[in-house]
Formats: sequence, C-alpha cells, structure tokens
Amino acid sequence: MSSSVEPPAPASTALRLHRQLVAIWATGPGLQRLAAVNHSVIGMRMMITSFAFFAIAGVLGMLTRVQLATPNAAFMDAETYNQVFTMHGSMMLFLFAIPMVESFAVYLTPKMLGTRDFAFPRLTAYGYWCYLFGATILTGSLLAGVAPNSGWFMYTPLSSNVYTPGVNADVWLLGVTFVEISALSLAMEIVVSILKMRAPGMSLDRMPIFAWYILVTALMMIVAFPPLILGSILLEVERAFGLVFFDPTRGGDPLLWQHLFWLFGHPDVYIIFLPMAAVLSTIIPVFANRPLVGYRAIVVAIIALAFLSFGIWVHHMFTVGIPHLALAFFSAGSAIVAVPTAVQIFAWLATLAHGKPRWDLPMLYVFGFFFVFVLGGLTGVMLAMVPFDWQAHDTYFVVAHMHYVVGGALAFPMLAGLYYWLPLLTGRTAVQRLSTVAFWLVFIGFNMTFFMMHLTGLLGMPRRIYTYHGNEAWNWLNLLSSVGGFIMTIGFALVVIDLVVQLRYGRRVRRDPWRATTLEWAMPIPPQPYAFASIPHVGAETERGAGQIALSLARGDGYLGFVRNGWQETLGVHITTGEPDQLIVLPQPTYLPLVTAIATAAAVLGLLFKLYLLSLVVALVIAGLFVFAAQRSGHARDYGPLPVGRGVSVPPHTEVADAPPWLALICTLVADGTLFTSLLFGTFYLWIAAPNWPGAVAPDPSRMLALGAAVALVLAAVAARGSLRALAGGGKAQGWVGLAMLALLAAIAAVVAMIAGVTPHPREHALGATAAALLSYIAVHAGIGLLFLLSNLLRLHGGFVSPRRLLDMRLTRLWVDYTMVTGGIALALVLALPSLVTLLGARP
Amino acid sequence: MSAPGRLESEYRGAEREGFPAGGRALPPRRLWWLAAGFGVWCSALVVLYALHAIGCAFAWPAATLRLTLVVVLLAHLVVIGWMWRNAARAAPEPAFGQTGSFLDAAIVWTAIAAFVATVLTFGPPLLLATCI
Repeated sequence: MSSSVEPPAPASTALRLHRQLVAIWATGPGLQRLAAVNHSVIGMRMMITSFAFFAIAGVLGMLTRVQLATPNAAFMDAETYNQVFTMHGSMMLFLFAIPMVESFAVYLTPKMLGTRDFAFPRLTAYGYWCYLFGATILTGSLLAGVAPNSGWFMYTPLSSNVYTPGVNADVWLLGVTFVEISALSLAMEIVVSILKMRAPGMSLDRMPIFAWYILVTALMMIVAFPPLILGSILLEVERAFGLVFFDPTRGGDPLLWQHLFWLFGHPDVYIIFLPMAAVLSTIIPVFANRPLVGYRAIVVAIIALAFLSFGIWVHHMFTVGIPHLALAFFSAGSAIVAVPTAVQIFAWLATLAHGKPRWDLPMLYVFGFFFVFVLGGLTGVMLAMVPFDWQAHDTYFVVAHMHYVVGGALAFPMLAGLYYWLPLLTGRTAVQRLSTVAFWLVFIGFNMTFFMMHLTGLLGMPRRIYTYHGNEAWNWLNLLSSVGGFIMTIGFALVVIDLVVQLRYGRRVRRDPWRATTLEWAMPIPPQPYAFASIPHVGAETERGAGQIALSLARGDGYLGFVRNGWQETLGVHITTGEPDQLIVLPQPTYLPLVTAIATAAAVLGLLFKLYLLSLVVALVIAGLFVFAAQRSGHARDYGPLPVGRGVSVPPHTEVADAPPWLALICTLVADGTLFTSLLFGTFYLWIAAPNWPGAVAPDPSRMLALGAAVALVLAAVAARGSLRALAGGGKAQGWVGLAMLALLAAIAAVVAMIAGVTPHPREHALGATAAALLSYIAVHAGIGLLFLLSNLLRLHGGFVSPRRLLDMRLTRLWVDYTMVTGGIALALVLALPSLVTLLGARP
Repeated sequence: MSAPGRLESEYRGAEREGFPAGGRALPPRRLWWLAAGFGVWCSALVVLYALHAIGCAFAWPAATLRLTLVVVLLAHLVVIGWMWRNAARAAPEPAFGQTGSFLDAAIVWTAIAAFVATVLTFGPPLLLATCI
C-alpha cells in the first residue's frame, strides 16, 4: 500500500469524483467478476441465487401437490416422494428463506446506514460462495437420486445409520452445515457493520428501524445456528464413525436431536419474519406519508421477540412425553410471544391510520401480509395450547399454520419489498397491470392451498403421507389445495414475467421515486460500487429527504469526498453516538474467498464420500488460506489521525481499540460459546434423560493428563498476555508467541492422549462419546489458537504490528483466554462424569 | 505509567476522537442492559426447566420440588425487579443527549416486559402437578 498521508485535493466535479471512485471500487470485467467482494454485487447475486432455489423448491412443492391431489396416485413412489418433500422443506428454509432475507440485508443495510460497504467484504464473498456450493451439493443429490429423505427436520432414529444407511442423510447434515457457514459469517458481518459503520451522526436513536430489525435478527442467527451445527456434527459423527449420541440402545437419546434442532428451528421462524417486518416498517411509513408510530416500542418489541423466540422451542415437542409442568412453561411462552408481534402490527396500523396512505403496488402485498400473517398468528396461539396441539399434531393443520407464518409472512413482504426497491436495483418501475394480476393470483392461490389444509388437518389428514385410499372425508378439500397450488404458481410465474418485462420495458424513474427518507435513495440508481460518493452526516440536512441530499453527496460535500492512495475508504463510528472515530480501509477484489470456498467444498465432499484423509489435508489448506488472508490486511506503518473531510481527522482502524475485527471476534466467540453451551446441555441431557447411563461402566479419566492440559492452557494465556505487554512496551514479542505455541501444543497432546484413553469406548456408550466430544472441543480450539499465533509471527515479521497497532495480539489473547476458560470447564466436566454416573446409581 | 496502562490510555485517546464537543459519549457497554432483563428471563427458563427435570428424575417429594421452583422463580423476579427499579430511578444524564434518553427508556421497558413475561410464563405452571 502507498503511504501518503497528505490531505487529498478535493475532486472538482461530481463526475470526476465518480470516475476516481469507480476506478478504485469497481469489480473488474470478465473472469474478474469471480473476485467480487462488493456488497451490492454479492447481495444481488445472493438474491438471484436464492430466487433460483425458490423456483426449484416451488417445483418440488408442486410435485408433492400433484402426487397428493388424487388417491393412490402413481406419479411418485414412496422413496421419491420422501426425497421430494424433504428437499422442498430443506430448500425453502435453508436455501431460499434464510439466504433471501440475508440478501436483502447485504444489499440494503450498508446503503441505509450511509456507508460504502460491509466491514469484511471478503467474508461476504466467502459466505456467498459457501452458500452456492453447499446448495449445489444438496441440489445435485436430488438429481442423483440420493437426496435427503427423512424430512427437513431429520429426526433420529429415522435419519440414523440403521434406518437411513445411504448417503441421503449425510448430504443434508454436511450440505446444510456448509450453507450455515454462510449464514453465520454474514450474521457477524451485519452485526459489526451496523454497530460500527453507520453514517456519522446516525446515533442509535436515529438509526433506520430497518437496521434495528436486521441487527436483532443477525444477533439471533449468531445464537440460533450453533445448536443445529452441533447437532449436525454429532449426528454425522455418529453416522460416519459410530460415536454414540442419539442411539438409545447405547446410552444416546433421539430426543437430544429434537432439542438441538428446535433450539435452532423455532428462532429461525423469527429470523425469517423479523427482516420481513423490517421491510414492512420501512415501506408502510413511506406510503402512509408519516413517520412510523412507536419507533421505541418497536425496538423494545423486537428485543422481547428475539428472546422469547428462543424460549419456546419445546412447543414443537409437546407430544414426546415431557411432564405437564414443563410443557406449561413453553405453552405460556408460546402464547405471550404473540404480544410483541401484535405491538408491531398495531404500530403499522396506527401509522396507516394517522397518515395519508397512498395506494401503490407494494401496498397490495402489505395488505396480503396482514391478512395471511394474522391468520397464521392466530393458529399459532391455538397450537401453543397443549391439548389442542395434541389433537392437531402431525396433521395438515400444522402444515397450514407453518405455511401461513413462514410462507405467507415471508412471501408477501418479500414481494412488497421487491417492488419497492426494484427502482433502486434497476432504475425502472413495474408494469402495473401485470403486477396487480400477479398479486391476486398469488393471494388467492396461497389461501386456497393452505387454508384448506387447516380443514383437512382438522378432519384428520396426517402429514408426510405419500398417498391415501380415497374414502377420507378430506379428499375434496385436499384436491382444492392442489388446485390452489397451481393458481399460486401461475401467480409467481407472472411475477417473474413482470420482472423480466420491467427490466426491458419498465418506465425509467428518477432518484427516490417513492419520496422516502432512508439513505439508500440518496444515491444514483442503480447504485454505484462505492455506494456514496461522499458519506452523509445524519442530522438536519438529511431530514429534508433522501433525494434532497443526493446531489451534494455526489459532489463530495460529505465525508471522504475524495480518493487517497487508491484505498477503499469508509468511516467507522462510535457505537452509540455515531460520531466518526476511525477510518476503515477495506480490502479490494480478490479470488481468495472463491478459492477458500472451493477448498471448503472439497473438504465437505471428502467427508461425504468418506475420503477423510483428503478432507484433513484440505482442512489444513483452508487454515493456511485464512492465515494467508490475514497477512493482506492492515497497514505496515503507523499513520495517526488522517483527515476524512468536514474538518474531522480520525486514525485508521488498525490503530484503535474497537476496530471491526475486535467486535467480529466477540461475535464469533458468542456463537462458539453457544455451541459449547449446547454441548454441555447435551451432556447433562443424556445424563438425566438417556436410558442405559446408570448401568454404564464408570469412566476413569487420567487426572494427570487433565492437570497437564489445564496448566498448558493457563500458560498459553499468560504467554499471550506477555506478548501483548512486551509489544506495547516497545519490546519484542516473538519469544512470548513461541512460548504460547509450545503451551498449546502441549495442551493438544495431553487432550489427544485423554481421548485415546476414554472409557467406555465412544463407540460403545454415549458416556464415552460425550467425553470425547468435550475433549475434542479443547483440541480444536487450541489448534485454532496455534493458527492465530502463527499469523502473529508472520505479521510481526512483516511489520504489521507495532505498539500502536496491537489488534493482532489482542485478538490472539482473547481467543486463547476463551480456550482456557472453556477448556477448564470441559476438563472439569470430563473429570466429574464418574461422579455423575455414581449419582445416577443412587436414584430411588 | 505501566505499559498496559499506557495502552489503555491510548485506546481511550483514540476513542475520544470525534466525541461531541462538551458532551460525553454514551458508553457502548450500556447496550448490554437492553438484553439484561430478558437475559434473566432466559436464566429463569433454563434453571427452572433443569431443576424440574432433575427433581423428577431423582423423585424429589412434590412439595420440595415445587418450593424449590418457586424460590428460584422469586429470586429471578427479584433480580429483574431490581433492574427495573434501578433503570427507572436513574435520571437521564443530559450529557448523553437524546441517545441516552432513548436508550434509558428502552432499557426500562425491556425490563418491564421481561418482568411481566417471567411472571406469566413461569408463575401459573408452578401450580400444576409436578412430574406427570
């Protein structure tokens, strides 16, 4: 990187500034497109990819409706039907819904925040490629006839080796986990960017409500995904290597899978709903011509909703035999979760009631949402009541409810948002007549399909059947569902035609066609790769409306209205006040995310085809790629405060305490800590609930090895602190780093020796398997700690670390501290297992 | 000044850049309070669910189990109640401006919501038969 610190000359015209910025920010042509890291490019790709999977999943849904339309249909056999309905659900949830809401967040959030890009553009790109490759593996399995066939929830023991001996379940476990890497990485990216990369002056109370929703959603994702990732890892390990976690004949428990799955699965409903509520909360005030009613109440409501949604997972398990008192906790929670949802609905209605609403296409879909979501919410409260749930469980009533809350609450706001922001994406508006017809077909078709399912369910139609006799009372209602499915599909096809026609013949629009106030409209449409030629200051000048400030921003009147050293510059701000506190220099386009994602795909495929050595080698390559990526970040010299325009100077992010990577590591550790907590929960759950634990051979872990591992972890943490202190004092840190590496190697050796001696053997009893899992957790984290330290050594050598630039060492210290704490807990639990087993023996 | 002390001082110096003139920046750690009330609600759920499972597995007498659960619930309510009282009593600091007022109000209301949610979610179920 160049090292000029001279205040740059302001660009004299908007056009010159535009050209200078495009030269720095644009993605290259041809194959260089594969190196894109820009949020607009990745967001758009993600949106298109998610809609492609929506189309595939929609076709699969139609196939199931064809099969179910008439009794004794020979359209599909049972196995094909199982694969088709499993993939319909899995694709809709994991390959469409979650990536689609993320694509909205990726494309829109930086623009609404008034910043130029996300904090970690390479991570955005890596997340996208992981999603694409993972989704391709899942889709490929369908074409090969080996798609997952145990339902989208993959309940054990159906998905265990005994009942699903082929690779079908492995495809789901590995493919979905691969896709979840994308979801998690983007969630961290979003949290850090919203907290640290808003336009100056955008304090928390001035943040668009959209950003609050997306922030809470991303935080939910960070906590919701790890339990499922853990469950998938444990089930795959059981299937591939025979370690027992879910097999009740060897001390496992199939219900553990249900707990881990629904710990993810229920919050996931809100992870999908909240971004769509964000869309509604953005659109409704624009069309009501007044600010949103109850901004503060909505912020409180979404925080409440986020927490409550985590505490009601057991309402998916009301029929598994949990005592009534415990069921009542979750029943009550499931009912009161309707309250914060209702707060939002009443806020939207009040906004419309107090405004002067104008009717336009997006509002049609808002109307569709209200109708569908209120119905879905009401049936949700019905299902929250245990006695009703027992009656309706495993019937089509549940299918109907789920489609109303997940399908309807997703599809209608999504289309409202799509029509609202399409002028931003394409610079054109929809062809009104076609869009209206499409809406009514989708609306009528949706309700015809899924409302009937309430009735068929109440009449006793069971879920997951591939055919029926034809003398059931619900036959004609079920046929109407299939007819409705086709009407809905025609509606969606019309939407697609409308979009294509719009791209070609739609009326061109000027900037800010809806007279909105959010900042995404304060830029040229379609947006340029740099988003804002200069960054706005949120305050009196932005309150005039987004369209009013666009020209002055294009002229460079805001912050960073110039170019410097060819850097991709944007601003970091104080988390609460939104005052600028750092200059963030972002990485430029690179093939590294693509290469790393290809390597990750190779590792996943290696696991799928049981080429474990290949997976291990590729995993080392991936680790090397991450270390390599770290070498290309930051600056090799100190700069001190640099001018950023409007008379403000701030230091680069490498020289401040709360740089984006610091917050990103905290988010990572929150996710990691959730996974660890889930593992602890799993251990205690099996202890208290699984059969065959009281009679198991009591384990006898080596106390000496455990002590050795604990001492080594403490030593590593001390050495990591020593390296930071030495460097801050102007000394050399290499010796401390080397000591930390040796300590972590010693910890790994001790833990591996403990795993080798675990009794009972992990393949024989869940007791041994949980001990092995806890110890493996320590080994993996110590291994990652080694990568941190290796990176430190390389960056110390390259001059990227100095007494002012200590971020690398602080990140390592935090990681090693975390490893020490979780390692201590894991070792203590392994040592306590014998006592826990003895305690079980003393039960009356 | 010790090396870490110098370091912290430098960090603070960097953070002070761009703070509003004459005012103080609302510390980011205050954001944790937005999650505190419902964090205690989560704790109540986990502890009550776990204790109930353990009590049933080890065949505790129904009265003992119920009393234990009630005590745990009350302890959690006391904590959230303290948070509510604390947040409601603290006068907004003028130096933190509109952002401070917004956050203070949000913290009070999340504490109230968490208190009500704790009462409604965990109170009535404790009247039911314990281990059926």
